[in-house]
Amino acid sequence: MIKLADAPRGRTLRLVDIQGGEGVRRRLFALGFHKDDLIEVNSHGILRGPLLIKNLTSDISIALGRSIAGKILVDLASDGQ
Amino acid sequence: MGNESPTVIFLGQPNSGKSTLFNAIAGPKALTSNFPGTSYKHTHSEVNIEGRLLNVVDLPGTYSLSPSEPAEKVILSHLFQEKPDLVINVVDASILGRSLELTLELLELGYPMIMALNMVDLAEKKGIQVDPENLEKRLGVRVVPTVAAHGRGLKALLEAAFFCLDNRCPLISPHWSGDVEEEVRRLAERLPEEIIVAGNPRFTAIKLIEAEKTFCVEVLAEADPGLKRDLDLIKKRIEDKRRAPAYEVIAAERHHLALKISEETSRVRRGKRRSWERRVDDVIMHPVLGYLILGLIFLAFFFLIFKIGGPLEGALLGPLARLRAFLSGWLGAGLLFHVADGLLQGIGGGAAIVLPYFVPLLFFMAFLEDLGYLARAGFLLDTFMHRIGLHGKSVSPFILGFGCNVPAVLSTRVLESRRDRTITSLLIPFIPCSARTTIILALVAFYLGPAWALGFYLFNILLVAVIGRILSLFFKDPSPGLILEIPSLKAPSPVNMARKTYLQLKSFVKFAWPLLVGGSIVLSLLQFLGLDKVLNTAFSPLVVHGLGLPEPLGITLVFGFLRKELSLIMMLQALGVEYKNLLTVVTREQILVFTVFVSFFIPCLSTFAILWKETGKKVAFLSVGLSVTVAVAVSLMVRLIF
Repeated sequence: MIKLADAPRGRTLRLVDIQGGEGVRRRLFALGFHKDDLIEVNSHGILRGPLLIKNLTSDISIALGRSIAGKILVDLASDGQ
Repeated sequence: MGNESPTVIFLGQPNSGKSTLFNAIAGPKALTSNFPGTSYKHTHSEVNIEGRLLNVVDLPGTYSLSPSEPAEKVILSHLFQEKPDLVINVVDASILGRSLELTLELLELGYPMIMALNMVDLAEKKGIQVDPENLEKRLGVRVVPTVAAHGRGLKALLEAAFFCLDNRCPLISPHWSGDVEEEVRRLAERLPEEIIVAGNPRFTAIKLIEAEKTFCVEVLAEADPGLKRDLDLIKKRIEDKRRAPAYEVIAAERHHLALKISEETSRVRRGKRRSWERRVDDVIMHPVLGYLILGLIFLAFFFLIFKIGGPLEGALLGPLARLRAFLSGWLGAGLLFHVADGLLQGIGGGAAIVLPYFVPLLFFMAFLEDLGYLARAGFLLDTFMHRIGLHGKSVSPFILGFGCNVPAVLSTRVLESRRDRTITSLLIPFIPCSARTTIILALVAFYLGPAWALGFYLFNILLVAVIGRILSLFFKDPSPGLILEIPSLKAPSPVNMARKTYLQLKSFVKFAWPLLVGGSIVLSLLQFLGLDKVLNTAFSPLVVHGLGLPEPLGITLVFGFLRKELSLIMMLQALGVEYKNLLTVVTREQILVFTVFVSFFIPCLSTFAILWKETGKKVAFLSVGLSVTVAVAVSLMVRLIF
């Protein structure tokens, strides 16, 4: 299990847990990010900038601040799953 | 009048094409855009469709009925106030799974509803085929496929709407796993009549279970301690059983049901993904290229505006000057001439100096917005916003601020934390809006050259950063960080862009222009009566000794509070010269100092009013104090340097 902030680009990841506060969790649920979704890091902003995350389950992209990405735990899923 | 015609509410998630659909049906009354959460003021219009009067309402986009940002909270209260006869749920077919979560909430709520399954063309391009009949069966509501941008499916949608208005289409609320359902039922049965929302005990019970520990729950605890105890007990039972917070359990129930329905009703053909969009995004969000493109876009932005506005302005000013000369020959120098001259300066100044820059700026802004670039700029600039204590979500209000500060302040409602909203709202008045861009272009670019104007802008942005950095020192609580949806890139529709430009222009003509003309006439009369000298003397310590400007310019600062562009027009009038002869009475340095001072010295009346409304009296006055301080400091600095 790794932090989303440390996850490699372009690999399929499984969202394991969101450890942020209630506000962050609620917001991510509302935007369509839930446990067990398959996600992918598409881009890293420069200078420890935000991450561009694509949800492969629901086909939604969000920009996520680095601090929040540090509170999200993911697993490397084997591709094509 | 509104009592007899049925109320129809458009409701959907941000970027579902809701406002576009609303526009296509109700005419050009609502703004649409491709940034999450832009139609703030809900739009009401009474429309006559096929001989039937409908009271249609466009509410801002919301992800759910359990709001987490202030913009969304407004929606809920409106939804209950309106007591709609019909809800048209606009759904983005290309992200059906998530969109259905709001639909399920609306089914729980139980107002009569039909669904506009929108953007089916985009879904097909992504290789997703949704079966509307099957969806209709699963949800128990009428589903009409539409492509709002091309007007496809509107007729069928209206037919379905009329059908449901006449036949009251009853809804079936979705049901969840037995254990959760049982707890919801238990609470629903126990609720006292007076707290039931929308006549629906089950909906009220669900909302109480998943509500944040907010005001409502606090009030409830005081009014009915027994109920509060039961609610806590029910939540605890759910939490113990599922080992997760109650709100999360409910969200998961909804999510799984939505996903299941979406999987059962749509076919996904892989391989036909919109790979070009991915490739375009890879370039415009690239760590190096992305910033280069961002920079180029903004350079092009101002270059274009200057290239279009400059010649237009030149062409329009000539006839205006001739008309003025003619008037003075015809009317002499009496009262009549002063009134006529004020009128002419106001109308002509608006048409010849403001509009040539304002219109292209609005149009280009609409283009960036509809394209979906604003959210992407938010991603790119997040890092830099962190340096000034904010994050990428504030980028959109700032960029909107280049158009007009008023909608920019309104749009800070997309920020979740009060801290971010306050800092952003305090910084927005320092963003050169189109009125100030007009002044900067007309004075600095025209008399000192485009490079100076660009420098002015860069300095301005630097100044915003410095002030932001200082402000964030005073707000200790941390910013919650960036969570921002990046919508699909969409080809902006020229009709939508033109419509948006037209609407902004209309509000300028309606509200600002009369002020411009009125102020211009008042100034003319003041001059005629010699009263302007009194005001100028009062201001002269600052204007003459502090800023080194000609004394007659004192009065223009008063008018600048009404509208920033008034300062420019008043400047010419106060100095008694025509625009092209300006350099005969002031120096280039004075022009620079004047522009700097006018740009920063005070938020205009409308911005002040909206600041007061949105952030409170304290912040509004703080903003005034801050801007006066900054204006004086910076103009003195400019004066000393040049």
